[in-house]
Amino acid sequence: MKKIPIKFSINDQKREALVNPNDLLINILRDDLYLTGTKYGCGIGECGACTVFLNNEPVLSCLTLAAAVDGKKITTIEGLAKGNKLHPMQIAFSKNAAVQCGFCTPGMILTAVALLKENPSPTEEEIKDYMRGNLCRCTGYVQIIKAIKTCAAEQNQLNLLTR
Amino acid sequence: MSQFKYISPKTKEEVLQILKQEKSEACLVAGCSNILPYIKDKIISKKLLLDISDIEELNYIKKSEGKLYIGAGTTISDLINSKIIREECNILYQTAEQFADPTIRNSATIGGNLADASPAADVAPPLLVLDAVLEVESMDEKREISLKNFFVGPRKTVLHDDEMISSIKIKDDTINKNGYFIKLGLRQAMAISLATVALILEVEKDKIADVRIAMGSIAPTPLRLIKVERFLKNKKINDELIEEAVKKVRVEVKPIGDVRASAEYRRYVSGILFKRAFKKLTN
Repeated sequence: MKKIPIKFSINDQKREALVNPNDLLINILRDDLYLTGTKYGCGIGECGACTVFLNNEPVLSCLTLAAAVDGKKITTIEGLAKGNKLHPMQIAFSKNAAVQCGFCTPGMILTAVALLKENPSPTEEEIKDYMRGNLCRCTGYVQIIKAIKTCAAEQNQLNLLTR
Repeated sequence: MSQFKYISPKTKEEVLQILKQEKSEACLVAGCSNILPYIKDKIISKKLLLDISDIEELNYIKKSEGKLYIGAGTTISDLINSKIIREECNILYQTAEQFADPTIRNSATIGGNLADASPAADVAPPLLVLDAVLEVESMDEKREISLKNFFVGPRKTVLHDDEMISSIKIKDDTINKNGYFIKLGLRQAMAISLATVALILEVEKDKIADVRIAMGSIAPTPLRLIKVERFLKNKKINDELIEEAVKKVRVEVKPIGDVRASAEYRRYVSGILFKRAFKKLTN
């Protein structure tokens, strides 16, 4: 197979790579870039563990061809924190015991961040609806929903204070 | 995973040129949310993947001369975010909201869902009751295909192997009508539809002025229930009419049994879904 050159930005860093046409984004992230925060769950788009941001929108990296990210911006879970400063969603998950084995967590957090960007004050129903493509086998989701609600409330508080 | 070549053309013209050359060796892809699982499972094996997801001229929602045009490359997320779709084509908006999940919707396209032509394609029933017309192009020809005549069997359409759907057209007399969409699956989210119903209903003084019914996952193709529509048209609404219509729905659907449900259950539940949609729109 003839390799395809691609240029992209990954967590604000510009990178180039030569990829096979049938390489999946998740494999480039995990195997070539050693960004193993993104997890391979089902491989068929049903669990959400492989979620990343592509041009600031959540997509499934197990169903995205590496060749298709040429010229685009990718953010993985590793790109959420700024140095030592965790993202508010990461803090909320950690403080609300929303993490058990942690496998679903990167995907959960990214999807939740996308949710709050679209809808800063979601109801519980809206949270469940938006997060429906992210599966967790450990927690039973209660703490995850609480973490998201807490993060939303805190963000809204902050926005009120900084006006 | 099996090998293939990959090209991402920048224009529709380029796509049509390549399709004319490669014909059935090429596979159009956009979101890849359906295609990649097929390739992984070896259900599809193509020499070349033609990625149309970055072609701007295929991604739009616009009104022109009283008609609504949706580019084939429009994502399901774009449908949800569109004021026109939410307000004037609400049945399609309802469908989009129940489609997969927000993440997949960022990639999946309306054209892809139609071209894959699964009997369970969720956008098909609403588009059927909206009397949608597909604008289909090849290098040599542009033609229009009424969606009613597009599907010929499970995952089979009338598209020639050098053709692509470029847009979906919905005429003015069907937009803005009251519609309701129900999706039934084995779970409340992320389910391949077990049965779906799309219903548009116009009532004048207790009589049915206009009725359009389409269902998915209950026949080899998404289906308009023409016979039930003919039965209901101009009739006065009462409980006996609805029960009679439910019986006729169960006769007109042609379900199979599969991993999700038996044919008998699908036949039975088709009537229930129709009744639920009908009651919702008449209350």
